[in-house]
Amino acid sequence: MKITFPHMGNSYIALSALTGSLGAEVIVPPRPTRQTIDLGALHAPEFVCLPFKVNMGDNIRALEMGSDTLAMVSGMWACRFGYYGRLQHQILRDAGYEFDSILLGRDDLRVVYNKFRSTAKGNLTLAWARAFRLFRLKAITVDCIETRARAVMPFEKERGTTTRKMKEGLSMVHAASSIDEVKKARASAVDLLDNIDLEKTGEKPLQIAIVGEIYTVLEPAINFDIERRLGEKGILVHPVMSVYKWLFRPLKVDPSITVSERRARKIAKPYVPYVLGGEEHQTITGTIDASRKGYDGVIHLYPFTCMPENICRSILPKLESKYDMPLLNLCLDEHASPTGIETRLEAFVDLLKQRRKKPHAPS
Amino acid sequence: MQIYRGERTVARIASCPAADPYGTVDNMRIGIPRALSYYRYYPFLKTVIEGMDGEVVLSPSTRKSLLEKGAYQCVDDICVPVKVYFGHVLDLMEKADCLLISRLVSVEKSNCDTYTCPKMIGLPDMVRHSMEEAPKIIEHIVDLQNGSWKSSIKGIAKALGASPSVTRKAYREAMEVQSSYEKLLLAGQTPESAIEHVLNPHGAAAQDGEHSAPNSKKEHAVHKDGQIKIALIGHEYLIHDAYVSHSLPDKLRSQGVDLIYSSQVTPEAINQELGKHPEISWSFEKELLGAAYHFQGREDIDGVMLLMCFACGPDSIVGEMISREFYRSEGPAFTTMVIDEHTGEAGVATRVEAFVDLIRRSSVRL
Repeated sequence: MKITFPHMGNSYIALSALTGSLGAEVIVPPRPTRQTIDLGALHAPEFVCLPFKVNMGDNIRALEMGSDTLAMVSGMWACRFGYYGRLQHQILRDAGYEFDSILLGRDDLRVVYNKFRSTAKGNLTLAWARAFRLFRLKAITVDCIETRARAVMPFEKERGTTTRKMKEGLSMVHAASSIDEVKKARASAVDLLDNIDLEKTGEKPLQIAIVGEIYTVLEPAINFDIERRLGEKGILVHPVMSVYKWLFRPLKVDPSITVSERRARKIAKPYVPYVLGGEEHQTITGTIDASRKGYDGVIHLYPFTCMPENICRSILPKLESKYDMPLLNLCLDEHASPTGIETRLEAFVDLLKQRRKKPHAPS
Repeated sequence: MQIYRGERTVARIASCPAADPYGTVDNMRIGIPRALSYYRYYPFLKTVIEGMDGEVVLSPSTRKSLLEKGAYQCVDDICVPVKVYFGHVLDLMEKADCLLISRLVSVEKSNCDTYTCPKMIGLPDMVRHSMEEAPKIIEHIVDLQNGSWKSSIKGIAKALGASPSVTRKAYREAMEVQSSYEKLLLAGQTPESAIEHVLNPHGAAAQDGEHSAPNSKKEHAVHKDGQIKIALIGHEYLIHDAYVSHSLPDKLRSQGVDLIYSSQVTPEAINQELGKHPEISWSFEKELLGAAYHFQGREDIDGVMLLMCFACGPDSIVGEMISREFYRSEGPAFTTMVIDEHTGEAGVATRVEAFVDLIRRSSVRL
């Protein structure tokens, strides 16, 4: 079985550990580029949201690389994401590709469990347990490395060092195949990041929270690597979501995620009392939290025509004035250009800097 | 076109009476926007409100100024129906004491999760938080997975200060009116005429008498030169909003087409069709999908037209499913029409003519 799944940030590291240790051959498509998006947009419905098009492109690339099984999450939500797998696989089959699909959440769990019976070595239950352990450890490790890199990046002496070292560390984690190796890789990755030359100016850096639709927040290919762009401007970035949280939220094995989800729903309740199917509660709560934690601004990312985030978008201006928190809405689609994003980011950062210099009295 | 938010706020404060909407006010004027859920639940809501001694203020039909105002107030990349809805809300803010906004969370009870479009679920939130000064809103919350139809009118009863017995009576009447309304829709009436029929039985009957004669004549005329039958699938708030759809049904009829709406397919037929396919959680789109499958299997249908609006979330998925189903197998001719606030009337007319010509020619060749 040559299994593949679409990209979302660094989730491929944990997911290939999971499927790889179950004995499947993992085919990781190249990181999404403009070309991938164009390829996906060619086959996708016209006004479906951007993540659909990118995932579609990823799937096509993986199929061309010889993959024969496509895995995707699926479900019955108010958001379109639940139908991605179903429709994408239908479109790809119509286009003449042949493959087997695993729709996690739609198919019975037992079906997914048994899919690996032929590939896993020895007892299937034990293989799953081992795979899950490695999966979890890698997800946590990736999260840890990303967090550390984010904290270091604004202070690096030579611009770009952190990104380079982080990539090195992540590839070490990706290459590791056992628990011990992952732990070793983690230690050396952290070591790499800790030994970066720092420049201490004594100035407190600007802090920006990133909220919005999960895919646009986590996938550097479609948000034009916003974390790096900001980090290299000397800004501390705090994304509300992470790959680890996204992967483990539905599994309900980490109580801290469950608690933070409940808290987010509670805080967002006066604004969105009902579940809309997306990350609307995290967006609203993230914005309110940013003001409580004393951050300087909030960037709201969402794909064009995203339904839950569009509702947030109409609510956020109210929070902006209520909590006196500068807000930048960035709507992303396949036609967004890096120059456009860069210009707006620069303008936003300039505004935040001016604001910090002259603290204005809230009216 | 430019509207200044400040001006409008001042105008509204001046026209708003000082009464508290949650006290018992005689004849409180409740505004219902003529958009989105109006096409489904207006007879129900009107009967309920009038049964509780409230007064209903309905916004005028959609027009250019309304849509422009709505689009100005709204988020840029949201679908036209929501922009239209905002236009109606802004119009009503000056005429009514408070607004009745439907929050349709789930409109059917079933074993699996059912929802409507997230924009319908978050509609009151959007209206409440995107205006400088929020209008007074009564929410009509329909969440049949966790509640009932009866509990959906709690908010209205509270706002109008209606006693439980009055509420019960109003509810019973409203349910009757609603079921006769739905019957008329199934029989092929447009929402406007069905509403007129149900809420104003005597006046409508007289009007109907006048209209019936020319109608039958017209049908005879059409029967002479090879009549074709086209099914129009789409949300009722798009098809029947004459301004947004550029009177698409009339345009089709003027080409000598016998028209059948997706609202004319019975729920039983829809369920039967959907039983063969994997389920969907959006109730309204489920109807569209079921209707499409139904029309595909019917021999008397010559063509199927799917009307969608740009940036509609559920339709982008379901529309693709429908069109793929039609392209894959033999059946009636199929076309999709995507409209938004910039769509020109000439564009709609051209495509209608082309589609009708295509069907006519293919039947001649056979």
